[in-house]
Amino acid sequence: MAAELEGGKALGGLLSGLAQDAFHGHAGITEELLRVQLYPDVPADEFRPFLEKMRAILKSIASADMDFNQLEAFLTAQTKKQGGITSEQAAVISKFWKSHKTKIRESLMNQSRWDKGLRGLSWRIDGKSQSRHSAQIHTPVAIVELEFGENGQESEFLCLEFDEVKVNQILKNLSEVEESISTLMQPA
Amino acid sequence: MERASESSEPVLDAKSQLIDFQWKLGMAVSSDSCRSLKYPYVAVMLKVADQSGQIKNKFIEMTIPQFQNFYRQFKEIAAVMETV
Repeated sequence: MAAELEGGKALGGLLSGLAQDAFHGHAGITEELLRVQLYPDVPADEFRPFLEKMRAILKSIASADMDFNQLEAFLTAQTKKQGGITSEQAAVISKFWKSHKTKIRESLMNQSRWDKGLRGLSWRIDGKSQSRHSAQIHTPVAIVELEFGENGQESEFLCLEFDEVKVNQILKNLSEVEESISTLMQPA
Repeated sequence: MERASESSEPVLDAKSQLIDFQWKLGMAVSSDSCRSLKYPYVAVMLKVADQSGQIKNKFIEMTIPQFQNFYRQFKEIAAVMETV
């Protein structure tokens, strides 16, 4: 195996590229691009199996959402395998997962959401006044704009009008949701 | 994807009325790209009537932090409306 493949320096960059491709939906990160940028002295037919090995390791770690104990056990096993990884590489992979885990997990969550996700909410209150003879009646109205959309698609907007009665109805519904969430989050 | 108009800007004058609000608290367990997803989410169905009276269902999904912000905003709306 080429000496360059055994070291850890370019591996961090490689893992970033792999993550961009596999999780964050970044197009155009080819095998050739990674090889030329990070391992220019390694021939393509040697680089390919190395790249696939690293991709498979990263996918396993992400798929299992490994905590740090699981990660250490997994990487140790990889160093002991025939054709596995070096301990220097294990250290680089470990460091990479620890700093990118949250972002990767967020991307995986977004990837699995196929309905439209909430992107934004803004609102204002209008005070509608009516005058009947001398009496002035102020009726506050809430104008709420919701922004939502599917992954990678343009936003859709919905503009809703609420009077106080409707707002209180919604609050009642939302408090029921919150109650359900609390029940779910209670430790077993 | 449905749009109120051809332009990409929000049509702020075209206000709809909320007719019904339904919700579901779900848990995504695993997927093809992640065997250990384990995240809860809130899915809401908004039944809205636009200015012409046409009724449509809109489905929106939120993470728990997004839902909590959504709830907090509506509480704020209610608080401000009381003072107007």
